[in-house]
Amino acid sequence: MYELKICYLYPDLLNLYGDRGNIIALQRRCQWRDIEVNVEHVSIGDTLKYEDYDIFFIGGGQDYEQTIIQNDLMGKREIIIEAVEAGKVFLGICGGFQLLGKYYKTPGGKEIECLGALNVWTHAGDTRLIGNFVFEVDFLKKNGEKYRVVGFENHAGKTYLGDGVKPLGKVIKGFGNNGEDGFEGAVYKNTFCTYSHGSLLPKNPVLADHLIMLALLNKYPDFQGLTPLDDELENLAHDSLVKRFTD
Amino acid sequence: MKGFIKKIKLGLAIIVTKLTVWGLRMVGRGGTSLPGKIALKICPDIFNRLSDRFRIIMITGTNGKTTTSRIIEGMLQKAGLKYISNKSGANLASGVATTLISALSLTGKPVVRTALLETDEAAFRTLAPKLKPEIIVVTNFFRDQLDRYGELYTTLNNVREGIHGTPGSRLILNADDSLCASLGENVPNPVIYFGLGDKVYPEDYLIANSDAAFCIHCKSRYEYLSASFAHLGHFRCPNCGYERPAAQIECTQVLEYDNLSSTIEIKIPDGKITVKLALPGLYNIYNALAGAAVGHLLELKENDLVHVLEGFECGFGRMETLSVNGLNLKMILVKNPTGFNQVLKYLMTQKDKCVVGFAINDKLADGTDISWLWDVDFEILSFMQNKIRKFFVSGIRAEDMAVRLKYAGIPSDSIFVRHGEAQLIDSMMEASKENDTVYILPTYTAMLDIRNELKKRFNLKEFWE
Repeated sequence: MYELKICYLYPDLLNLYGDRGNIIALQRRCQWRDIEVNVEHVSIGDTLKYEDYDIFFIGGGQDYEQTIIQNDLMGKREIIIEAVEAGKVFLGICGGFQLLGKYYKTPGGKEIECLGALNVWTHAGDTRLIGNFVFEVDFLKKNGEKYRVVGFENHAGKTYLGDGVKPLGKVIKGFGNNGEDGFEGAVYKNTFCTYSHGSLLPKNPVLADHLIMLALLNKYPDFQGLTPLDDELENLAHDSLVKRFTD
Repeated sequence: MKGFIKKIKLGLAIIVTKLTVWGLRMVGRGGTSLPGKIALKICPDIFNRLSDRFRIIMITGTNGKTTTSRIIEGMLQKAGLKYISNKSGANLASGVATTLISALSLTGKPVVRTALLETDEAAFRTLAPKLKPEIIVVTNFFRDQLDRYGELYTTLNNVREGIHGTPGSRLILNADDSLCASLGENVPNPVIYFGLGDKVYPEDYLIANSDAAFCIHCKSRYEYLSASFAHLGHFRCPNCGYERPAAQIECTQVLEYDNLSSTIEIKIPDGKITVKLALPGLYNIYNALAGAAVGHLLELKENDLVHVLEGFECGFGRMETLSVNGLNLKMILVKNPTGFNQVLKYLMTQKDKCVVGFAINDKLADGTDISWLWDVDFEILSFMQNKIRKFFVSGIRAEDMAVRLKYAGIPSDSIFVRHGEAQLIDSMMEASKENDTVYILPTYTAMLDIRNELKKRFNLKEFWE
């Protein structure tokens, strides 16, 4: 029997906008396939060993919560960088995306150092980029076509990608990383970042399964592939929203 | 000359507002916000000009504003005070302006002296210093539709700023909410706290998704002696000592608690009362306590307090009950995770079979971001599947809700998507048997649509009356 362990970073602090929906989705989609899955919460004061986990998740928080975790997070910096470099599956959303980058520049021009696990950086913008959005992901296919991810973005920071990091997708509708270059999110090795918060994975099952599959391939090199699930409701939600926002 | 123009502006604002209200009603619309908007355009300082004509009570906070307002209305009636209030959730500056002007004669004299104003938290910041209310009630702070309200601490600071602008107002604050209780620290205002006594409501404390797990002053993790729900409870910071203040109005015992009512004992400064609340749900105990605190300030006697608390009806869409064709139909508004969780807990007290429908919209008034559905613990519904015949989902985001239920462990074949209010109601009635309860849980604009449909079918009251 296959088994996966998920590390949920700071669930008591970085849990804005229903980020935990992503954990629920990973859990359920594993359970429905009889893949054993364990979720461990790692928060302030907890020790972290990256070898113990197959999937890492870090969500977004409000400014207040982000200041609370700052010191603890920087204490876990080396381990998180090792996890990313070792090709562990890592999902960073919204604030978590920014924290995985090199720095966040405040409206006053001060650069707050972040983890530096990814060659990306964020500048505070003057307006919030809010709304439903849709982006197209090259490496995900459904029925032979490029997969469109639908979500909701709400961020003031504008994120830019440096060398070695690819965008997760091309914006079809909405703002994306910075509202300027037409790209959304970031991919580096098996680390995936996006501004699409909340219920990203439940509504975009192709992306959810991609992460599960990568994690299983990491752990079981002879893994044959996921059994398909009945995704009628998920596809109904996904397709109706993509249509609504792109028509 | 300047004073004369000012007077003219106020007079003009009053007349135009009254005409607009009248005009909107003529075409069958409940004009609650547009008239006030026009009034504010004509006379921008209208609130300062009107404040001393009224004795004002303001209510703000995330959840329970409307229900608490309704209870306070009962208190005002009992005290023999004529009052005006802003119903129908018209709680922004424009709605407040419409309400106040409707209580004035054409010459600007108040026909009614007392104004009970439910106020949006962001609007409160600017309104409170202008209106200088006699009493301010703050119910609680939970994460709400963040695309509209921004971060929780911004909301809290909006209310804090509003209070700083009116040092003479009496404050009624939730002692169990570490965020709300902090508003009573270091202010000249007289404060009355309300809350649940220690260990009155037994529940395991869940730290996940708590909005305020860390001390507002020093950012250490709170310890709890006991907790009621979300982050409400007897908190204490082990580092700086900030703790739940003593409550003058306190629920000291929950004697009975089921899906129809709760019987509680309330300590008030000069005694104790036992009350059977006609409204179920733990959150309504808090609303009743806040209402009792206002009654206490109005110097109502013990039996009067009991009488009002036992007799009140629920606010617009908060929990409306309708008996049709041998069925009980209950509609309960849902708007954020904490409120929704409380409604689900209330469903758990249901004894008979029922049919449950969710109607989720994503218009501006609902919040355009429905991600918060993932912060609601729908997982508890899987424990009462033997009581729920079918689940229906409706509204613009019906499919999102269906997915949420599926991932909460509800089998896909008991979840049905129904677009349109008429179809939802038809399907739900069809799925239920005699003596069942039909629960409809809509977001704000979905509630308006469903209410219109119910109004057509079963002759419900007009909501702006």
